[in-house]
Amino acid sequence: MAQQSNIGELLSMLDSPVLSVRDDVTAVFKENLNSDRGPMLVNTLVDYYLDTNSQPVLHILTTLQEPHDKHLLDKMNEYVGKAASRLSTLSLLGHVIRLQPSWKHKLSQAPLLPSLLKCLKMDTDVVVLTTGVLVLITMLPMIPQSGKQHLHDFFDIFGRLSSWCLKKPGHVTEIYLVHLHASVYALFHRLYGMYPCNFVSFLRSHYSMKENLETFEEVVKPMMEHVRIHPELVTGSKDHELDPRRWKRLETHDVVIECAKISLDPTEASYEDGYSVSHQISARFPHRSADVTASPYVDTQNSYGSATSTPYSISRLTLLNTPGQLPQTLSSPSTRLLTEPPQATLWSPSMVCGMTTPPTSPGNVPPDLSHPYSKVFGTTGGKGTPLGTPATSPPPAPLCHSDDYVHISLPQATATPAKKEERTDSARPCLHRQHHLPNDRGLEELPGSKGSVTLSDLPGFLGDLASEEDSIEKDKEEAAISKELSEITTADAELLVPRGGFDSPFYRDSLPGCPRKTHSAASGTQGTSVNPEPLNSSLDKLGPDTPKQAFTPIDLPCGGAEEGPAGNRGRQPSLETSILTPSPCKIPPPRGVGFGSGQPPPYDHLFEVALPKTAHHFVSKKTEELLKKAKGNAEEDSWPSTSPVEVLDRLIQQGADAHSKELNKLSLPSKSVDWTHFGDEIRTLRNQLLLLHNQLLYERFKRQQHAVRNRRLLRKVIRAAALEEHNAAMKDQLKLQEKDIQMWKVSLQKEQARYSQLQEQRDTVVTQLHSQIRQLQHDREEFYNQSQELQTKLEDCRNMIAELRLELKKANSKVCHTELLLSQVSQKLSNSESVQQQMEFLNRQLLVLGEVNELYLEQLQNKHSDTTKEVEMMKAAYRKELEKNRSHVLQQNQRLDTSQKRILELESHLAKKDHLLLEQKKYLEDVKLQARGQLQAAESRYEAQKRITQAFELEILDLYGRLEKDGLLKKLEEEKTEAAEAAGERLDCCSDGCSDSVVGHNEEASGHNGETKPPRPGSTRGSSGSRGGGGSSSSSELSTPEKPPNQRAGLFSSRWETTVGEPSTSIPTTVGSLPSSKSFLGMKARELFRNKSESQCDEDGITISSLSETLKTELGKDSGVEAKTPLNLDGPYPSPPNPDSVGQLRIMDYNETHHEHS
Amino acid sequence: MTEDSQRNFRSVYYEKVGFRGVEEKKSLEILLKDDRLDIEKLCTFSQRFPLPSMYRALVWKVLLGILPPHHESHAQVMMYRKEQYSDVLHALKVIRFVSDATPQVEVFLRMYQLESGKLPRSPSFPLEPEGEVFLAIAKAMEEMVEDSVDCYWIIRCFVNQLNSKYRDSLPQLPKAFEQYLNLEDSRLLSHLKTCSAVSKLPYDLWFKRCFAGCLPESSLQRVWDKVVSGSCKILVFVAVEILLTFKIKVMALNSAEKITKFLENIPQDSSDAIVSKAIDLWHKHCGTPVHSA
Repeated sequence: MAQQSNIGELLSMLDSPVLSVRDDVTAVFKENLNSDRGPMLVNTLVDYYLDTNSQPVLHILTTLQEPHDKHLLDKMNEYVGKAASRLSTLSLLGHVIRLQPSWKHKLSQAPLLPSLLKCLKMDTDVVVLTTGVLVLITMLPMIPQSGKQHLHDFFDIFGRLSSWCLKKPGHVTEIYLVHLHASVYALFHRLYGMYPCNFVSFLRSHYSMKENLETFEEVVKPMMEHVRIHPELVTGSKDHELDPRRWKRLETHDVVIECAKISLDPTEASYEDGYSVSHQISARFPHRSADVTASPYVDTQNSYGSATSTPYSISRLTLLNTPGQLPQTLSSPSTRLLTEPPQATLWSPSMVCGMTTPPTSPGNVPPDLSHPYSKVFGTTGGKGTPLGTPATSPPPAPLCHSDDYVHISLPQATATPAKKEERTDSARPCLHRQHHLPNDRGLEELPGSKGSVTLSDLPGFLGDLASEEDSIEKDKEEAAISKELSEITTADAELLVPRGGFDSPFYRDSLPGCPRKTHSAASGTQGTSVNPEPLNSSLDKLGPDTPKQAFTPIDLPCGGAEEGPAGNRGRQPSLETSILTPSPCKIPPPRGVGFGSGQPPPYDHLFEVALPKTAHHFVSKKTEELLKKAKGNAEEDSWPSTSPVEVLDRLIQQGADAHSKELNKLSLPSKSVDWTHFGDEIRTLRNQLLLLHNQLLYERFKRQQHAVRNRRLLRKVIRAAALEEHNAAMKDQLKLQEKDIQMWKVSLQKEQARYSQLQEQRDTVVTQLHSQIRQLQHDREEFYNQSQELQTKLEDCRNMIAELRLELKKANSKVCHTELLLSQVSQKLSNSESVQQQMEFLNRQLLVLGEVNELYLEQLQNKHSDTTKEVEMMKAAYRKELEKNRSHVLQQNQRLDTSQKRILELESHLAKKDHLLLEQKKYLEDVKLQARGQLQAAESRYEAQKRITQAFELEILDLYGRLEKDGLLKKLEEEKTEAAEAAGERLDCCSDGCSDSVVGHNEEASGHNGETKPPRPGSTRGSSGSRGGGGSSSSSELSTPEKPPNQRAGLFSSRWETTVGEPSTSIPTTVGSLPSSKSFLGMKARELFRNKSESQCDEDGITISSLSETLKTELGKDSGVEAKTPLNLDGPYPSPPNPDSVGQLRIMDYNETHHEHS
Repeated sequence: MTEDSQRNFRSVYYEKVGFRGVEEKKSLEILLKDDRLDIEKLCTFSQRFPLPSMYRALVWKVLLGILPPHHESHAQVMMYRKEQYSDVLHALKVIRFVSDATPQVEVFLRMYQLESGKLPRSPSFPLEPEGEVFLAIAKAMEEMVEDSVDCYWIIRCFVNQLNSKYRDSLPQLPKAFEQYLNLEDSRLLSHLKTCSAVSKLPYDLWFKRCFAGCLPESSLQRVWDKVVSGSCKILVFVAVEILLTFKIKVMALNSAEKITKFLENIPQDSSDAIVSKAIDLWHKHCGTPVHSA
């Protein structure tokens, strides 16, 4: 609670006149707000404000920070709901919104918006409505996306209010309606600018209804005449308009400008268009555009274009160095130059035509003007660059020239700071006037870039009107200022009274000026005291600017830089008004009035300084009003499509005029009396004032938006300029580099030429050197040849020397040899000499010895019988003999040796011999073998031969056998008579004989018995005696088998055997008479049988002859085994022996033969 | 050393690797170059290696004693042989035992008979078994040796060798055959025994005729190389190998007659392999003959 009371105290202290206290308290409040988050403080502040309308509180409220917005909005929502506090709440809301708090986006969600809309729909109080509409219009660009929800509410409000303008329900005063109309007009622009499609469709649907048709005709249609076709109508759609994405890209001021663009209303749109153009131009070609754009301007204003163009370019060039403010200032006017002419055609022609005064005769003026301007720019070129100089110098100039104006006195009257501030803003109004008074003002103001720019624009238009314009503008300004002041100072009770003095009736009676004049007068009187406030406020607003302004009243480039946007804005509207209002301006009455009055101007500058935008609007309104009046006076039909703004302007103008008039008429005391009488009117006026204030605030807001935008554009321009500068610099560099390159090229060529020269020189030198080399080489070769020759000579010489040396050596050797020989010879000589000497010596000795010998001989003869001599002789003999023997032994030894050697030799010989012998033996063996082989072959051959012969024999025998057979058969036939036995025997014998031998056995066979016996003894004779006996016996036995065999019983068997075996063994022997090579036994047998072959043959031949036939086959077999076969065959004849006996026989035979052999 | 230098140093490796007969010819030539041929060496050689066909006749003649070991006397001896041959032939012609129309083999037989004194009284007399054997051998030999004189002499000496040198060992061969067959394949032997074919096997053909007429000459001569060089045991292994080779067929046959008949007419195509295997088998069982010197 203590706090509460504290707050109350503090609140009361806020309004204290002491500045320091107020500041402290505000600081305390702000601290509290920062620390406290509750709604309490805000609520109390709001309450207090609504109660007291306290400015500091308002200031606090408008600068509320984030967390408190909700409380504020809630609180305001609460108060909006109440009809009593609605108006003040709305105005508070307007204040808050215009400052664009950081939380402005929350507005769309806040409950305040619906309640505001509701209030706008429901309320019937025009003031509230107007205020609300203005607030809404201000708010719309901030919350464009919220349109989606409330779009129809907006449209409804528009529909309702537009109809209100016509229908005037209730007791709404006309003058309010003017305000309302103006605000509706603004709403129309805003809605059309923001949501064209939706809005148009709404219009279509809403005004297609019959009951609304009239409203459309009367209200909406004229409004539509002030807008061009929105591009969105072609390209956009309803949905697209509401698309938040579309709005996201746009800031608040963008939206505002967008809306302004589509307006044809000069008050709203001229500069907007200008912006659009300026964008292009500034973007494309800043200076050139000036020339180009100047041309249309020149058409209307003749040769100004050329004149202006040059200054532009110059200024441009010179000012490029200065901060980027100037380009913008340049561009903006230039664009305006472009845009103005059409507007002029729109607006001025009819008026101009009607005008008595010659409006534009620029032809005369331009040449005059152009020169000064060019001069001026020349000077600016000098002066403009140093920034500091103009700051001090300009102030006096405007002051001096402002002498023309009424408000010259004002600066003097008011405090100096105020004056300076005025300057800054008044610069624009001043500019206008400068156009009118080109020579004087232009020169002074030229140092300021603004001055130059505006100067360039306006002279064409207003050259002639200079003086009149001034006055008019002054009037307007005065009026505006007065109003503004009144608004500002509404809180003051003093001012309330004079305000109340304004009468609508006056206004209606086209004498509204009276009360205003009074008011203005009042304000004028109080102006001095009041001025500080707005100035302060303006200072607050333009915080950073103020200090600079203090130093640079008007034209400081740096000051301008900050103020640029504001200045521009202020200037542009003013220019527009100036353009737009030529005709009103020329209307004599106001002029006269303006001049006549002469008082109000003092506020003019202040006003514009504080609120340039609103000021302009008031001016425009005034002009409109004046226009109306003028029209009325001139009995001209009112302009069919005057915009509500103009109407409002005119109203204000008229009001101002009336006010001034009234002021003139009335004395102050009477005034007060009047106010009391016209309490009702006072209220009306107050309301009006409120409305105007609202309007003003709205326009101010718009201005701020423009300022923001300008700042941005300025930035762009600066950047572009910088880039251009950079480009230029680059180009310069490029040129320089190109120059360099060319220089380099030239030098290169030179160098090349030099190089080629040098090369040629070098070539020549080289060729020379080559030739020299060749020559030298030639020389060298010659020398070489010579040297070779010399060398060969040298060689020869050497050889010769060597030969000579050799010869020398030889000679030396010869010499030596000869020397040697010589020495030898000499030696020999000496030797021979010595020998001769010896000879002589020996001869002498010989002689001596001969003498000695003779002596010895004498001695010998003397001694004969000396025995020792014999012994000696003997000894000598022995010795000799011994020696002889020794030598003999030696000889013997030698012989022995030799003989031993001989022995060794012989032994080796012997060994060799043995070896040889062995070899010989081997060889012999070899040969033996060879021979044996050959012998074997031969033997086999022989064997074969034997076989062959055997075969042949067999064959022959066979053949004989056959022959004999034949013969026997014959004989048998012949000797049939003879004994058969004998015949048989004979037959056998015959056959045997045949086999026995080839040689004539036939005879034996014939008489064989006797003959066979004789050879037997012979055979026995050849053999040993015993055997011979055996043989004889056996033969006898054979021959006579019948003879007693028991003679020799022991031998019987053997005998038998032999007898039996004999034929067998004998057969081969007899047949072949050859020893069987097979065995030793065979050989023995052969020998044996050979001895008694004859006898055997005889015997056997007889015995076996018969068996010949059979035997033949068996003959081939030599062995005894086969022998039995013939016996077997002989079977009938001898007793057949068994095989065993045969074996025995054979053994026996073997033994026998053995025996025999042994 | 000289001998070694003439020989290829790779010969040892050839044998190791399994090539045969690469160096044999050369070594044989070296052997034959000796004057006074070393009969023993030649024997060993021919037992170890198959003889090259171009030297076969010569080697055989030397081994069989037809030619003496001295080269010098070769010509003379050969002349004798030839004369002997022609004489015998002439004699046979004279006694009209042979004529030009008589087949060569029979001529050889008659000559042999004449030379051995067994010439029958008349050519029309039926041949004795020995004559048949001779004829078979002669027929085979006729194919191997071109010159008729050589042929006759080789036949003659071969038969003589069979009759003299192997007279005692030949009857032992059937027993040895059984023994080796038992070692190699007892089942086959038992089969033969069960068929009682053991005693009926063509031993005459195998051992008396030395496979003449049983094997083709090309393979037969390799067998005879061994026989000539003094080993009749090879015959046993050839017989064993024949049985082993035709084991399946023999096993399929049950009667002794059939087996005998089959074995008497064995297919000729595999004879080479049989002989090679038989020689391997022989070497395996009796060891490779190494020259003692």
